[in-house]
Amino acid sequence: MKTPEKQIGAPMDRVDGRLKVTGAATYSAEYELPGITYAVLVGSTITKGRITGIDSKAAERAPGVLAVITHFNSPKVPGFDTAGKDPSQPATVGGPIKIFHDDKIRFNDQPIAIVVADTLERARFAARLVKGQYAPEKHQTNLEASKPQAFLPTSAKKNPKNPMNDYQRGKTDAYKAGAIKLEQDYVIPTEVHHPMELQAITAHWEAPDRLTIYDKTQGTMATRRDFAKEWGLPEENVKVIATFVGGAFGNALHSWPHESAAIMAAKVVNRPVKLMLTREQMFTMVGYRPYTWQKIGMSATADGKITAITHESIGQTSSYEEFTESTLAQTRMMYQSPNLTTRYRLASLDIGSPIWMRGPGEATGAFALESAMDEMAHQLGIDPLEFRLRNYTDTDPENGKPWSTKFLKECYQLGADRIGWNKRQLKPGSVRDGDWQVGYGMGVGTFGAHRGAATVGAQLLPNGTVLLQCATTDIGPGTGTVMTQIAADTLGMDPQKIRFELGNSSFPKAGTQGGSSTVNSVGPATQQACLALKDKLRQLAAVGSAAFASAKKEDIILTDGYLTLASNSTARVPYAELLKQAGGTAVAVEAKPDGAGQKYSMYSFSVHFAEVLVHVLTGEVRVSKLVSCADAGTIINEKTAANQMKGGAVGGIGMALMEHAIIDDRYGRYITKDFADYHVPVNADSPDIQVAFVNQPDPYVNALGTKGIGEIATIGVAPAIANAVFNATGKRVRELPITPDKLV
Amino acid sequence: MNQFQYSRPTKQQAAIDAVAKDPNAAFIAGGTNLVDLMKRGVTSPQKLVDINRLPLGKIESQNNGLRIGALALNSAVAEDRQVREKQPLLALALNAGASPQLRNMATVGGNMLQRTRCAYFYDTTMPCNKRQPGTGCGALEGVNRMHAIFGFSDKCIAVHPSDMSVALVALDAVVQVSGPKGNRSIPFADFHRLPGDTPEKDTNLTPGELITAVDVPDGPFTKHVHYQKVRERASYAFALLSVAAALDIDGSNIIKAARLAMGGVAHKPWRLTTAEQMLVGKPATEETFRQAADVAMQGAKSFKYNAYKLKLGPNAIVQALKTAAAA
Amino acid sequence: MNTEPENASPHDDSRRTFLKQSTLLTAMALVPGPVVSAAEAKLDERVAEAIEQVPLSLKVNGKKLKLSVEPRTTLLDLLREQLHLNGTKKGCDYGQCGACTVHVDGQRVNSCLSFAVMHDGKEITTIEGLADGDKLHPMQEAFVKHDGFQCGYCTPGQIMSAVACVREGHAGSEGEIREYMSGNICRCGAYSNIVAAIQDVKKGGQKV
Repeated sequence: MKTPEKQIGAPMDRVDGRLKVTGAATYSAEYELPGITYAVLVGSTITKGRITGIDSKAAERAPGVLAVITHFNSPKVPGFDTAGKDPSQPATVGGPIKIFHDDKIRFNDQPIAIVVADTLERARFAARLVKGQYAPEKHQTNLEASKPQAFLPTSAKKNPKNPMNDYQRGKTDAYKAGAIKLEQDYVIPTEVHHPMELQAITAHWEAPDRLTIYDKTQGTMATRRDFAKEWGLPEENVKVIATFVGGAFGNALHSWPHESAAIMAAKVVNRPVKLMLTREQMFTMVGYRPYTWQKIGMSATADGKITAITHESIGQTSSYEEFTESTLAQTRMMYQSPNLTTRYRLASLDIGSPIWMRGPGEATGAFALESAMDEMAHQLGIDPLEFRLRNYTDTDPENGKPWSTKFLKECYQLGADRIGWNKRQLKPGSVRDGDWQVGYGMGVGTFGAHRGAATVGAQLLPNGTVLLQCATTDIGPGTGTVMTQIAADTLGMDPQKIRFELGNSSFPKAGTQGGSSTVNSVGPATQQACLALKDKLRQLAAVGSAAFASAKKEDIILTDGYLTLASNSTARVPYAELLKQAGGTAVAVEAKPDGAGQKYSMYSFSVHFAEVLVHVLTGEVRVSKLVSCADAGTIINEKTAANQMKGGAVGGIGMALMEHAIIDDRYGRYITKDFADYHVPVNADSPDIQVAFVNQPDPYVNALGTKGIGEIATIGVAPAIANAVFNATGKRVRELPITPDKLV
Repeated sequence: MNQFQYSRPTKQQAAIDAVAKDPNAAFIAGGTNLVDLMKRGVTSPQKLVDINRLPLGKIESQNNGLRIGALALNSAVAEDRQVREKQPLLALALNAGASPQLRNMATVGGNMLQRTRCAYFYDTTMPCNKRQPGTGCGALEGVNRMHAIFGFSDKCIAVHPSDMSVALVALDAVVQVSGPKGNRSIPFADFHRLPGDTPEKDTNLTPGELITAVDVPDGPFTKHVHYQKVRERASYAFALLSVAAALDIDGSNIIKAARLAMGGVAHKPWRLTTAEQMLVGKPATEETFRQAADVAMQGAKSFKYNAYKLKLGPNAIVQALKTAAAA
Repeated sequence: MNTEPENASPHDDSRRTFLKQSTLLTAMALVPGPVVSAAEAKLDERVAEAIEQVPLSLKVNGKKLKLSVEPRTTLLDLLREQLHLNGTKKGCDYGQCGACTVHVDGQRVNSCLSFAVMHDGKEITTIEGLADGDKLHPMQEAFVKHDGFQCGYCTPGQIMSAVACVREGHAGSEGEIREYMSGNICRCGAYSNIVAAIQDVKKGGQKV
């Protein structure tokens, strides 16, 4: 029999591609449930203060309205009395808003009511009739004004080992004594995830103590845990379905007030409730990348050795949750600087809580660090790539551990060749093409190769196909596809005969899809579940066949209708025989990290090279070429992996050139409310992005050799573009985005 | 959104009557701006008169010019052979606006009547004299980076967002309207208003008046034209500011006639006649264009966040003229 | 609302129904104050429904439908919430993302920015109507082959727009495709692959 082709590494089409291109993929607002009702949220029009009254009479009388719920008439939510009591809980200290629980307003557009009606049009109309009355208090929504009150996160205060604590190696702020030094401020404005799918939930109480929600979430288990806790239910009574998630980029890593509101509304009207946020509400209540101020001090020797770096940052958080992210992580481990100081602080504002946005803090930090690297290289008159090579480290300078793998130099080489780095002129502003100035820049990214525990279930079905299940989600990277490839290679089967089901909290458990960890975690679980399935089938076959009794599991082959052995094709047991036996074929295997992280520093690495054009008169910037190279370990699917890299690069273009959520601090309200005001890249903003992978397995993260792609695809892109703009024009923009007004 | 009464007359007079009689009635054509505004509660007409079945979509040559029906779609006008030959500037401006899908919906009349994109106008909880007279101007002391540098008042500093209208004002178009009192023609430059004390009025149309067509007179501007739109992304974005430039240049590189207008700088498409006059008789060189740009910017004033327009404006004018001359 | 196919059962003559409702609306207009909202006029539900619905004939994906809808119902919400054609997506509801792109009489438009009733008598094609039975449209095939998506949410709009882009003759070069596909935002950033898919279809010369 013909050995199936190896699937790992092959550019396989997505297993759910057909569903996605025909419109048959079902997202969370698209489940047809009998008796479905529609909900619309009413937001506060003040930023801070108390609700003194809510006039909901007109809304209640409007046609088709089933309920108007406010804190005056909301049902008791058991978990609200116990939630948020432990302020030391990572990662978001404090507690989420308890919806319709009290009269306090903590941010503008905080939901004060939810209106439920029989049609969407009627719900929307009635929501406009609800009027809140308020006792406003003085608010603060501006980070720059709050910098003097910035504080060390509580999680760091309580735990000296918490990475949000100040870090020190060598002498404190040693750069100040350096002969060649720089000291600069960098600012990242608030950026919003804005997945194309609006945040949506369909909540259905199937019984008074049994809840099913179809939800936009990156973690079905985490969402289940949150809402089981909130409603005082055993976790098994709550089912979370997220078969398709229309993008998230981090904003579905947290349970948000609108989800609680929809669940509460479904309880009150005793019918399924569908709630889809508006684009305006996507700014205010489902997180964002926080406005962050950073300062870098750096000193170096004349021959290009960094002697000291100090990196400080102040990020914004809400008044009710302490959100932290690893803004300073890359600075501590990327370059061999004997003296290094980092200080991370937060400032509480009267605004909704932030949440990790793609490449999270590392992308923010890399903008400052990689810009400063470029500034120092310029100051020294050294090529920026050469400057980075002179400060390259073969061990992790943060803790002295060896890297599990690090092929960043190889990435540098791949990228420099492809962008044509040798064309870059040392002197800025020296290349022109008609009305455009041309420049080249680079930026480096890194992100921890995280792995968590995950369980995958596997079983043979009577038709000879294998069904795999896991509670993990797929927000776009192609999780089901790569797991099918891993399973195909492990089972030696045609991938067409394998189905990987995900996005359901009832399936074997997995962590949340975030932090580039899914393939690292679910991949080995899939592999081990497939091996366990083979062994189970062997055992079942052994009952009636001596050949199988002595066979090794690696020897097992699954064919169309029967089990056989690679070493002995006459040994055959039809599947029907196996499935007849008691207990069935189902296995479930939990795969856990083996502690290699204790010995090694495990990171993915990337480098991005940008060629930009800057219009001499209008200051418009176009990215004309972008090359992204990654050391992400084994690449399971070259096609989906490259797509993910390109997507991260496009996100980086947005960050560098246009994304900027703006609040009018007088009112505490966003004046960017939609895609006309908050620009994200369109097709014409994207060059043809080239991607190259080193594709060397990491022997320590897991048996597959993967390290993760999602974050490094974005981290380092924005500074690459900012550095290219400097090379083109001689203008250094330290506050993103680089819009024409800053260059003209 | 509130419920509204909907009618779809097939006779122009019936449509006009329906709107003229009812202050809460509005015409709807493409809907690309009106539906948006209704969804957000910025405007809440109680009666919509759908004019899409009126025969106002033709583009035809007549009386030394083109007559473009008010219901002609933006995409149809931009792709029209006669428009591209006789008025390429108009086609350029149209294609710089919105997206292919929106251009397939938006009509010429509706494009002229689109409302400002000022964030304070769009948010019903914020002060805005245009949306709700007497509440103040949120932008005046607010985040005004998109706002006017010409012709504003202390009541309103919003800008008109249309690209098409910038070309039309430059091309001396004439708006044909039909109303309860009959038909009249309005020169394009007089169609939109400056805010003054009544920013709620965008145009000089009277209640019930319907735009039926726009006439664009033939002219020499068939070659040296350019629409320079500066925006924060490469496509599908409103202008930070824009420049429509048209030149007639003779064999010895001397400018015989010039047209220049800006978008994104005032409450109406902003014609730059003094600069045009200055250009005539001069050589078509960057130096001339820079002088014209300086003239054009006289009287411009900025606010806290839009001072960049004082520099970007003249640069964009130079770029537009340069590109037009080279076309 | 009802969605019976035109030939399934006799339906009130739509014009007569419309006139009847118009008359009722005119009569209501004599009531002081705004009358369009049943709530404000304190009408009971039944009357509210009667005046709030208007008839609408549409051909959707080749199927003739006689419908009765509120004038304020957008084409997008009609497709998604009443006809259960969820392939057409809501990404912004303001004509700023393109996820809701459908073809009306063959032209690509944003279905979120027009009222369904304005399309009376028109032919609507959604992503569900693009394939020929089980056989994918060449553009759908190309999107799968070139991985022109990640999360899939903007994909139906991208594909409807891409088909129109080729039909309009705006797929002549990479630059032209990028400009004429800029009305469809893909936050996952699969733009390069989308362009590759369109170029593939264009070069293949298949009928789109």
